[in-house]
Amino acid sequence: MTGRSAGETLRMVLRSADEEARRRGDRRVGTDHLLLGLLHESDSPAARALGVSLEDARMASETLDLAALAAVGVGIGAVGRRPTSGPARRLLPLSSGARAVVKRAVDEARPHRTGRLDTGHFLTALLSLDRPYPAAELLHALGAEPALVRDRLARLSG
Amino acid sequence: MDLNELAATPDPQDPAVGLRAVGALRRLAEGLEARSVQLARDRGWSWEQIGDALGVSRQSVHAKYGKGGTR
Repeated sequence: MTGRSAGETLRMVLRSADEEARRRGDRRVGTDHLLLGLLHESDSPAARALGVSLEDARMASETLDLAALAAVGVGIGAVGRRPTSGPARRLLPLSSGARAVVKRAVDEARPHRTGRLDTGHFLTALLSLDRPYPAAELLHALGAEPALVRDRLARLSG
Repeated sequence: MDLNELAATPDPQDPAVGLRAVGALRRLAEGLEARSVQLARDRGWSWEQIGDALGVSRQSVHAKYGKGGTR
């Protein structure tokens, strides 16, 4: 993470989230996609503070889908994979929740005037969300304790 | 992490559950449509035949899946 400018970090986070949204077949980048995108690099501050692998988090999101479907009476064993398209020419729009998270992360990095922005800032912003934001649902499903994760983040950046 | 814990049945009266299910169904339908259209093209179906099967016009299915389409 070190050595990356704030702009580069922001672009990397947005691109990873976009990849997650497309992978799932969504038309917008939501807060849950931002969260999954933060796990693309397993050694990023966010991934280390959460202690969850990208695969496990994707599986948890899929399990939430299957549970929601089952609750409304649709029983299926797995969500099918869609054909993968080529690289995206432009990014999908952000949901309003995702936009707020990005703004919050950038604002949070600013007061330090160091120009430093890392995945931890995005995770901090995501941790402040409540359900029914999809990221909050996913964090809850992953058993992430916000206070504990914040604590680990503080130690990682300290 | 206990994935079995997640499988606890959510409350169907919770709007978040219903809305999440709607999103999942839409993604399932779109994924199945994309796979099936691809399969039909591979087997030589015309855009018109595919459009008829989907109940939409040849133009709309071609615009969506043909060369230069959105996906």
